[in-house]
Amino acid sequence: MSTVTAPTTTPLDHVTVAKPHPVSTFLSTYVFSKDHKVIGLQFLFSTLLWFLIGGLLALAVRWQVAWPWSDVPVLGKLFAQEGGQMSPEFYTMLFTMHATVMIFLVIIPILAGAFGNFLIPLMIGADDMAFPTLNMLSYWFMWPAFIAFGASFFFEGGAAAGGWTSYPPLSTSVVSSPGSGWGQTLWLLGLTFVGVSSMLGSVNYMTTIILMRAPGMTMFRLPMTIWAMFITAILQAFALPVLTATGFMQLADRLFATGFFSPEGLIVNNAVPGPGGGQPLLWQHLFWFYSHPAVYIMILPAMGMVSDILTCFARKPLFGYRPMVYSIAGIAGLGFIVWGHHMFMSGMNPALGITFMVSTMMIALPSAVKTFNWLGTVWGGKIEFTTSMLFALSFVSMFIIGGLSGIFMAATPVDIFIHDTYFIVAHFHYVLFAGTAMGVWAAIYFWFPKMFGRTMNEFWGKVHFFLTFIFLNGTFFTMHILGAVGFPRRLADAYHYETFHHLQPMNAFMTWCAIGMVASQVIFAVNFFWSMFYGPVAGRNPWNANGLEWTTPSPPGHGNFDYQPVVYRGPYEYSPPGVETDHLMQTDPPNPTADAAARQAH
Amino acid sequence: MSAPAISAPHDHGHGDGHHGHIHLQYQPGLPLSRGKLIMWLFLSTEIMFFAALLGSYIVLRFGAAVWPKPHHVHLSEPLGAFNTFVLICSSVTVVLALEAAKANKTSLAKIWMLATLLLGALFLGVKAYEYQAKFAHGIFPQAPHGLIYERPDLYYGSAVRDRLDNLRKVPVSQVPAALRLPDDTKAKPGDTVDVLKRLDEAPEGSLNAEQQRARTAFQLVQKMVMNLDQQAYDMAVIADQVAPLPSEGAAGAAGHGGGHGINDAFPWLRLPMVIPGGNMWASTYFLLTGFHAVHVAVGLIVFTVLLGYTLGPKNAGMIENAGLYWHFVDLVWIFLFPVLYLF
Amino acid sequence: MNRLGGMFWAIVFLAVPVLGVATFAVAPSINVWLPKDISEHGHEIDSLFYFILILTGVVFVATELLLFWFLWKYDAAARGDTKATYLHGSHTLEVVWTIIPAVVLLFLAIYQMNAWANVKMRRPDMPPTVEVVGRQFEWRLRYPGGDGMLGTPDDIHLVNDLCLPVDEDILVQLKSMDVLHSFFLPNLRIKQDAVPGMKIPVWFKGTETGSSDIVCAELCGWGHYKMKGRVTFVTRPEFDAWLERMEAEQEATQEVTP
Ligand code: HEA
Ligand code: HEA
Ligand code: CUA
Ligand SMILES: [Cu+2]
Repeated sequence: MSTVTAPTTTPLDHVTVAKPHPVSTFLSTYVFSKDHKVIGLQFLFSTLLWFLIGGLLALAVRWQVAWPWSDVPVLGKLFAQEGGQMSPEFYTMLFTMHATVMIFLVIIPILAGAFGNFLIPLMIGADDMAFPTLNMLSYWFMWPAFIAFGASFFFEGGAAAGGWTSYPPLSTSVVSSPGSGWGQTLWLLGLTFVGVSSMLGSVNYMTTIILMRAPGMTMFRLPMTIWAMFITAILQAFALPVLTATGFMQLADRLFATGFFSPEGLIVNNAVPGPGGGQPLLWQHLFWFYSHPAVYIMILPAMGMVSDILTCFARKPLFGYRPMVYSIAGIAGLGFIVWGHHMFMSGMNPALGITFMVSTMMIALPSAVKTFNWLGTVWGGKIEFTTSMLFALSFVSMFIIGGLSGIFMAATPVDIFIHDTYFIVAHFHYVLFAGTAMGVWAAIYFWFPKMFGRTMNEFWGKVHFFLTFIFLNGTFFTMHILGAVGFPRRLADAYHYETFHHLQPMNAFMTWCAIGMVASQVIFAVNFFWSMFYGPVAGRNPWNANGLEWTTPSPPGHGNFDYQPVVYRGPYEYSPPGVETDHLMQTDPPNPTADAAARQAH
Repeated sequence: MSAPAISAPHDHGHGDGHHGHIHLQYQPGLPLSRGKLIMWLFLSTEIMFFAALLGSYIVLRFGAAVWPKPHHVHLSEPLGAFNTFVLICSSVTVVLALEAAKANKTSLAKIWMLATLLLGALFLGVKAYEYQAKFAHGIFPQAPHGLIYERPDLYYGSAVRDRLDNLRKVPVSQVPAALRLPDDTKAKPGDTVDVLKRLDEAPEGSLNAEQQRARTAFQLVQKMVMNLDQQAYDMAVIADQVAPLPSEGAAGAAGHGGGHGINDAFPWLRLPMVIPGGNMWASTYFLLTGFHAVHVAVGLIVFTVLLGYTLGPKNAGMIENAGLYWHFVDLVWIFLFPVLYLF
Repeated sequence: MNRLGGMFWAIVFLAVPVLGVATFAVAPSINVWLPKDISEHGHEIDSLFYFILILTGVVFVATELLLFWFLWKYDAAARGDTKATYLHGSHTLEVVWTIIPAVVLLFLAIYQMNAWANVKMRRPDMPPTVEVVGRQFEWRLRYPGGDGMLGTPDDIHLVNDLCLPVDEDILVQLKSMDVLHSFFLPNLRIKQDAVPGMKIPVWFKGTETGSSDIVCAELCGWGHYKMKGRVTFVTRPEFDAWLERMEAEQEATQEVTP
């Protein structure tokens, strides 16, 4: 606190997010607000809610995998399946929507939407986004998607059931499966709206970061969070339109029989769907051209935020700032030329497979650089084991697992065996849940004070971390060895295969862990809401961090800054020589010894 | 999107203004206005969008066994060329509008802006006309199954027969004047008549040339279709009667090439026809031109809005961004035209 | 934040590599591991799997142990009032840990190409032994009859029960009638999507008689889970005999329904 140059005013209680104006009404302040902080929180609440839904869907999935065709506790009654059991098509629908919700309504919007919105202006010293109205729209465009995905469950034939990858012809020929009736069409519409929302967001973020940095905030003084958000925005801007375009094409295939993705002479269900003349693989190429960069869209921001949190609680400068920046850029760049690694078995030319294999191997490099630099950051630090720090550390620990399993799949011959097995499922849950989701929790615990002016309960936070950490590994690590047996994904019941019949007990164990994992989130939910109102009041800078956001009131009023921020150094000046406290904020006035040390360190 | 663009650095469409807090200084990384930068970024996403569409087109076209020649599908190069010219002119006029606005010649700027608007509208008009021609000939994807068949096989034959059966009853109103028989005058608009039967049974000489031709054509097709089961007839002959694929020679004489078949004489018949590769052609054609047309339409809306402002230097930024977008739309067409019409 | 807290959390993170390695160590003994390999090329894939397992295993253990050690050693509670080391990075280290993985990965990439080529690129030039056509939700099989050619009247049509001669090159011609399927033979380390509109060759050589699973590994609709077949390897004489029998049966049924 002592080092804050800004006038230290007593923290305002959280209701003053966006200080009410004479003109502003409740609606314009909280609902149709153009304040990036309010919009960020709107994203946060919506996505957390969907996170819960996605989690429950996951439980239903797990239930069927562990005890096929047994009565489902809650959902059974909810969607009156025959006698409370789930039908195979219902199972297909479950994992499709589980993935859809988790990816398009949770991870992407919580990273870019919630944290991108809340943090970018605060961390670069801007009073808001470049285009607040656009920003508001990017949130409200999520609602048609929320509704489309949500409603699709209650339509004839249920929600989409073609897998989140919705490969044609299964997804385009309505006759091919019950779930691909209205559900699939709504799925495509929902996807389009998510796309529009992200696109509006990303161009806005880029403009803001390029044009609205505080004096002295050069590109190479930006916190990793901002770098990550910036490059993520670029990824979205260039990858998303492709998905939107191909989404429209699939929609056309379904509604007008344009047949882009179905060859001639298909006979599905003894019916001839359409004229055809198209190519099923075309969809896969276009889809993965977006969706592989998308997986990095789903982790880079988490990487950025984790970098900031690690340095803060290790009280140590980020190890290798520039390499960290370049590696993010490297991941993003290479991310555009590896999409084919999802198609090794698809019938794509095997020679092409080799080139994609090489580029995929190479993309492990920047990730390697990041991993080692995180370790370097912790090394020689002075580690404070706060809840936020624990989640951040677990991100590193878990990402290593998820990343390394990627190497198996990148090796084309090995992928022949493990493709579409639980080895893949293990891989992406380690990067997406054990990685990104844990990173998100780290960020929530870290910036909660800035959001609501109060800190979350540390003890219960740690309990939440401990349980989640144990259960997630119990659930997902086991998937690796299931994959080694060849246990196929997307199967409602695999035990009638001689090869897999003995795996039921193991799956039951995983399901119990999954139940525990979801249950532990109650602790989080309670802690979250309780702390919002009764948590200990936080000052401007509860963690003694360096970023600009910590020089503003918690929560910041409308316009964020109650003084003109001027930046004198990078965001990672922890424990520099020549200062009595153990950190120098970016806005602290020049300090000869420290700044000299910093200069020759670079 | 370009609306808030021009606003001065600070009051960026922030509805309720900023009387809350102090005015912050920034260190911009590029010498660009926010509006211009975001417009460029937006256009780069648009490029990727059309790149995906064009890419798919190329993959699908070169993956296809056959691809119809423009005149097989009633595509007219001259019309396309004309439209290209129109769009290029509009790109010029929008620049002139900007120049005029910068020079504070507001009324002149308005005129050029109006010209741009009209040229854009003209482009859409021509497009609409072209679409109309396709629709009239039943050349468009249609679920569950369109009128276009890849080859004259038995599926095709039975499709023709089904269609003929449906034609047993046609509302009088649909029967073109040329085919009206004297006694139709008694029939009320709502009534339906069996055109085919009447033509069959009409006594010799009572028919004019047009009707004669129609009659012979029908009788041929009907005979063939009746004998489908014995496969006595080659479907290709039927196909040729319905919509003959013009020889290279007959290429787009009147733009609307395509030899004269029953479908061309009596479009309202909508008999299934054979165009190898026609389905995928139609799909891609409407996909690409459709999305481009939507972008043109958006541009027109923007221009209409702009006409509401005084087009002086103050609003030059706004015009410039609209212009940027318009040039992009123009550029896309410059790619689409050769790809769709010429190669 | 007292010392014990730090130790506790360090140990929690230590549990990751320990239990991780343990899981993989016991997996084979509880038979949750690679299924029996009865193919000629399979060992290539398996040994590559083991090679990567060792390689990534080393990286995994090393990085996780480092993490644990740093947490244990640099816990604030243990550091008293000494400051954290003020260090912005090290160029040499950056170079080292970029080059080494780069070399390793590049080696890996090149090292495996041969195995891939064997399974997917070096197609034996021979007529297809059998045509496999995926269909919701079954595998349609078509053997060339006496004339040894597919697409002739004497073809033999079967469903789901694939019988093949052991110790011989097999060339399967893979097709799909409706949607995507994937022809997955766990015990032969074979997997290939069946794509409508494409004829994809798949080749392998069984080294043991006996039967094993055919799994559909690409989502193909509600019945995906039950699109199950069996592949049975028999000796050449047995195979010929079997083929004859099937031919006879087929003719018999055809007499009944002309
Ligand atoms: C956040 C999401 C995310 C991330 C970051 C990644 C990262 C990687 N992924 Fe993953 N992937 C997914 C999400 C993600 N993936 C999803 C969702 C799917 C499934 C989609 C579906 O089918 O439903 C998938 C599927 C998938 C496949 C297809 C498998 C199949 O279907 O057969 C492949 C194949 O190559 C792959 C590879 C990789 C690789 C090489 C990385 C690399 O980036 C990892 C790099 C990191 C490391 C390697 C670890 C750290 C490095 C070191 C410790 C240095 C030392 C290491 C070595 C020397 C080896 N992924
Ligand atoms: C970000 C992505 C993400 C996340 C987080 C998860 C989370 C989980 N997933 Fe999922 N999953 C996918 C992405 C994800 N998954 C994808 C892409 C697929 C492939 C689908 C396909 O094949 O098409 C898949 C498929 C998939 C399968 C394979 C199905 C099959 O192939 O047959 C399984 C099976 O075990 C599974 C299980 C789980 C479990 C148990 C969790 C658990 O971790 C869930 C735990 C849930 C929570 C922890 C929620 C807690 C709630 C809160 C924190 C909110 C608190 C509330 C407030 C504060 C208001 N998932
Ligand atoms: Cu066939 Cu899955
Ligand atoms: Cu990928």
